[in-house]
Amino acid sequence: MEDKMSFLDICGGRLALQRRYYSPSCREFCLSSPRLSLRLLTAVTCTVWLAAYGLFTLCENSMILSAAIFVTLLGLLGYLHFVKIDQETLLIIDSLGIQMTSSYASGKESTTFIEMGKVKDVIINEAIYMQKVIYYLCILLKDPVEPHGISQVVPVFQSAKPRLDCLIEVYRSCQEILAYQKATSTSP
Amino acid sequence: MEAPLSLLSHPLPSAAGCARAREVWGLECARASGRVFWRLSKATGKMVENSPSPLPERAIYGFVLFLSSQFGFMLYLVWAFIPESWLNSLGLTYWPQKYWAVALPVYLLITVVIGYVLLFGINMMSTSPLNSIHTITDNYAKNQQQKKYQEEAIPALRDISISEVNQMFFLAANELYTN
Repeated sequence: MEDKMSFLDICGGRLALQRRYYSPSCREFCLSSPRLSLRLLTAVTCTVWLAAYGLFTLCENSMILSAAIFVTLLGLLGYLHFVKIDQETLLIIDSLGIQMTSSYASGKESTTFIEMGKVKDVIINEAIYMQKVIYYLCILLKDPVEPHGISQVVPVFQSAKPRLDCLIEVYRSCQEILAYQKATSTSP
Repeated sequence: MEAPLSLLSHPLPSAAGCARAREVWGLECARASGRVFWRLSKATGKMVENSPSPLPERAIYGFVLFLSSQFGFMLYLVWAFIPESWLNSLGLTYWPQKYWAVALPVYLLITVVIGYVLLFGINMMSTSPLNSIHTITDNYAKNQQQKKYQEEAIPALRDISISEVNQMFFLAANELYTN
């Protein structure tokens, strides 16, 4: 069963949340950011090339122009491969664990998996981020030494940064699965 | 950090005796887990309280500061403006270079401007990152004592775990967010 909803991120940009219910114990949430806009790309390229042309008229060295073209191309490729995340996915499987996948614009995918034995809870936390206070979803990991302690905090959807309404949807679904898992694990 | 005085649940020794002890020895009371510990503060023989009220000594300090700052300013103006030859003719020959009369204020102003930027940067650096455990809990919350629940009494103040807070906010209040 699939479900598509539209939300906003903390800066006001559009996000699309796609929920897939595979089974009562397995769900997937996919947050997609809009692709690299042509307007931004044109603006950056024009600025860099105009600045290079200005330097060229000052210095009369044509290497500056070739260097500017080179820098723009490499910069664009590097940005697409290392910085621009198009889609972030959170997959929860009841007895197995939680998997987070980030897909970059160049097609690269980076995956992190946390097994269910380590997961204490999934919560929405508030924190200060760059002159703002934002809500973000995070996974709390258990402390092996102390039963009620928290050893680590793993934030989720770090590049998409959705707002609270989107986070509440994901949070409720995650809590249903965790409750289901606790119910099935405690029953004999 | 010592536990604060809890005036509600545990009786202190008599107020008169406590005040007298403070006057004579300059001691401080600290309460820890039901017993009273007496700690020696810096024994000055005076009252340990610091109040901002005006006192005769403070008036004198203030006036001395005022006079010395006015004198220092006049001295600075004399040094900066009066030519070297006049000062030498008076017999005052050992002065620093007049370059410093301009350089030091400029240094001071630049320090103030950089201080603004530096303070902003230090604030940003000391903010915990999003994946830090300090956004969830800290040592005081981990080591807090669980007081027994008493009937008909206001529950003791304590730090509630973030899972409970989340459930209360986001799972229970369904109608609040679907509107």
